[in-house]
Amino acid sequence: MPKKLADILKEKGIPIEFQYGGAAPESLTAREIKKEPGPRAKKLLDLYLNTLSSATIEFPYWYTRKWSELEGEVDIVRRAAALKHAFSHSTPTILPGEKLVMGKTRYYRGSFPNPANSERYFMLKEDELYKAALQKGSAVSDDVIKFGTGGGNVTQDFGKVVSVAGKFGVRQEEVLAMNKVAYEWVGKSVEDVCNRYEQMVPGYDFKEKLMRSSICMFDSGFTEPLGREIMNYYFPLQYGFDGLMELAQERKAEVAGYADGDGITGMDRLYFYEAVGLILEGIQTWILNYAAEAHRLAELETDPIQKSEYEEITACLEWIAHNQPRTFREALQLIYILHIAVLNEDTVSGMSPGRVGQILWPWFEQDMAAGRTTEEEVIELLELYRVKMTCIDALKPKAITAGVSSGNTFNNLCLGGLTRDGQPASNRLEILIIEAAIRCPCPQPTLSVLYDEKLPDDFLLKAIECNKTGTGYPAWMNNKNAIDFLLWHYGPEGMTQEEARAWSIGGCLETSAGSWHELTLNEKTYIIPGGAGQPTSVGVHFLANPKILECLLFNGYDHRVGLQVFPAHNKKLETYDELWETYKQYYEMAVGILTRCNNIQHDIWRKKNMSVFHSMLKPDCLTTGRHIGNMGIRYNGTFSVESCGTANLVNSLASLKMLVYEDKKYNLDQIREAILANFGFITAEETGSYSLAEQVKKEGGETWDDILSDCLSAPKMGNADQFADSILKEYEEWFCNMCTNYESLYAKPLYACQISVSTHGAQGAVTLATPDGRLRGTGYADASMSPYPGTDRNGPYAIFASATCWDQTKSQNSQLNIKVHPSAINGLVGSRKLLELTKAYLGAGGFHIQYNVVDSKVLRDAKANPDNYRDLMVRVAGFTQYWVELGAHIQDEVIVRTEYESV
Amino acid sequence: MNNTVMMHKDCRNFAPVDVVKGVCHVHKQMVMIDSPVCESYKMLPKCENCNNFKPDSAQADLGVCQAETTEPWTYAELNAVTCEQYRKKKSP
Repeated sequence: MPKKLADILKEKGIPIEFQYGGAAPESLTAREIKKEPGPRAKKLLDLYLNTLSSATIEFPYWYTRKWSELEGEVDIVRRAAALKHAFSHSTPTILPGEKLVMGKTRYYRGSFPNPANSERYFMLKEDELYKAALQKGSAVSDDVIKFGTGGGNVTQDFGKVVSVAGKFGVRQEEVLAMNKVAYEWVGKSVEDVCNRYEQMVPGYDFKEKLMRSSICMFDSGFTEPLGREIMNYYFPLQYGFDGLMELAQERKAEVAGYADGDGITGMDRLYFYEAVGLILEGIQTWILNYAAEAHRLAELETDPIQKSEYEEITACLEWIAHNQPRTFREALQLIYILHIAVLNEDTVSGMSPGRVGQILWPWFEQDMAAGRTTEEEVIELLELYRVKMTCIDALKPKAITAGVSSGNTFNNLCLGGLTRDGQPASNRLEILIIEAAIRCPCPQPTLSVLYDEKLPDDFLLKAIECNKTGTGYPAWMNNKNAIDFLLWHYGPEGMTQEEARAWSIGGCLETSAGSWHELTLNEKTYIIPGGAGQPTSVGVHFLANPKILECLLFNGYDHRVGLQVFPAHNKKLETYDELWETYKQYYEMAVGILTRCNNIQHDIWRKKNMSVFHSMLKPDCLTTGRHIGNMGIRYNGTFSVESCGTANLVNSLASLKMLVYEDKKYNLDQIREAILANFGFITAEETGSYSLAEQVKKEGGETWDDILSDCLSAPKMGNADQFADSILKEYEEWFCNMCTNYESLYAKPLYACQISVSTHGAQGAVTLATPDGRLRGTGYADASMSPYPGTDRNGPYAIFASATCWDQTKSQNSQLNIKVHPSAINGLVGSRKLLELTKAYLGAGGFHIQYNVVDSKVLRDAKANPDNYRDLMVRVAGFTQYWVELGAHIQDEVIVRTEYESV
Repeated sequence: MNNTVMMHKDCRNFAPVDVVKGVCHVHKQMVMIDSPVCESYKMLPKCENCNNFKPDSAQADLGVCQAETTEPWTYAELNAVTCEQYRKKKSP
């Protein structure tokens, strides 16, 4: 019987499914902390767990109808009028038991495509344009991308439901209309327009090849042009919609006909304010339509309690449609509405609410002081907020939704950090936010602690308690690192130390610029934070580091797709230095062409599909009269180069350096042969399993045993091993500096972004075996500082030593995931150990750490019996997702991560 | 009402949860979207129930809105609860 790699390695005494610090109990171990949400939230969460991801064309239909009608209008006004039309005509749905209401569509877990950005991915599958789109480099082939088939994913057609973009269900009777809307944008969408101009970049063919080989995973400008940034709720929270409409009218009168010294965008201010007025009217009508629906339901309702709840909803919405909120509930409802409004305006993921506990503190404090509410009532509302945020879905091309985000939408709520004057910013409301997240575990919003040594231990231990639920949140971010990074990168744009403290995480872990605002409520003044930067994780998306090395070893050729991707270097690579120098040359070639093409994409986006409502919310667009695309926002240097597969690259370089160049045990041709032979193993595509441990040896595969064994035994990152760590350091210093040599369309330098999201699964799937002993088609190590599963043999502090051998403040982020068995952190003693572990890493200069508190046996059982685990969640990279909605690549990778039995 | 069997997706008392089911606000229970309505049925405003809707002779799911002089295309299932131009047909 053919042997699995796991068995072979076990025989050799180097088990890949590695447990550090002891052995896990034999029985399945549940997480220590488990609480229940209140009955109202439980009912709505249970409903969510039984809801299918559902899409409708309603919003894009109304948008397109008005857009077509207004041909000839100034683009930003035309767009705002179209958005107003779409918001005003969205069907309101309110379900019994809801206190927080509204949503992206009439469906509970609803979404819709955004044809103004990109239209072909939701056309009829038999349509010729749809088929042609699949041939484009930007559409990664379906065979490497898998959605989980469980949960709410609609991965196949059934009954009167059609599956669109791999996981969204659409009613059959809407399909023709959906196709027709898509056709209205052919040749006009951002994707189609920018594609014409991208092709004018010399060497465009090279860019197409990079996409086709999946060395780069997805274009930036028309897929998710907004997101990975922080919402700013200040203006509506302070002035209310009526106040803002008045302000827009006044500003229109002031700027009409004046350039005021700006000959390029000065005149645009009039159109911007006109657009702001229109969009505010649309959102106001949208809210009032829900208020009217609540009123209609109250009339219909026979149960007096439910009737009064509908009446409360009407009163709440009718008030906040015009005015500054008066209560905590109204303020929470308003920020949720603003959030959804921004998501509906464009194609977005990772639009993070930011430091909600500090933003809503004024209402919480005053309600509590006046006896208008209780902490239990606040917790219930926060639980309901969690459920509503979890309902957020985003319909995008399958390559992105499955290959990158695993269906997640990355709404990150941050806790802690410092106030403007450098004091601990945590508060009682943040404790309640954590409590609600413990009681009501669901993926959104995920939580992040902005860790600073000044934060009090009771707050930190509460966050650790939440970690012990196994939800994967909160992630821990280094406040000091973030401030250093922000000042380094945004200092030239005028950022001060005080303002740097207003930062937050956008998306899963993108360090994002913020600002402070003076808010007055009932004559008392507060300082609240909000987002102040452009979208991040835009620019050059996920570059597959090990795949570039693969191309280098094969003279620029990709054997999987049979394509000469890079120009042949024709070098013998006789020294390690020559190998490393050539690697850097290939990498820089890729970054160069991708930067130019993505700059064009975003430029077309800002000209054709600019943000109106989101711009209005962010400082200083409303005061300057310039939208985000016209750089009205305070911080603009947000474009980056994203990498994936750092550990496998570093380990592969270490392997080559030792085995080929120093010990000279093998030559490069032997390594190449081993790679092409997949070290004598059947490929992951054939086995259908993407875990290294599950790979099966071919008959006669023993020929490669020695070389595989040597590659696996070569030095590995994550062990405090000087040999491997010096390579990591050299790579990081080059990578972080290299990024700044490229310029975004906003004429700002790029920076390094080191997260993997889910691309370590998809990009691993397209990569042949690597010199570190990883086999073809299996996932890369997740994140950027996570060691490759099973290779971290010296415990967590050795991982920390490796990961902090370079200056992490030169990168927007770096990411480390650790899987901990629940029994390792039992009780208060266990909590303190986990907190000390966290402090140790962040104190040593780590940027980020997060934990999967789970028994790997539970995950294996969940893989075998998914029906028993509908509500099981795991931390993947910077996000938490339901197990059953994850694709096999990611499930397998999470299972084999090293499990820590003690910390 | 003519002989067409009305489904819950056609009823104003039905609140969709997803593409297969929703909540009946009258009976307060989950019902399937394609199941027949009960005696509490109330017509849902949508294009196909509107006097201004002219169906396409070739593709029944599509049509035009005659409320506007440009007669923009629309589709039969488009909800019209928020449409200011909706005019209920006397006989659906």
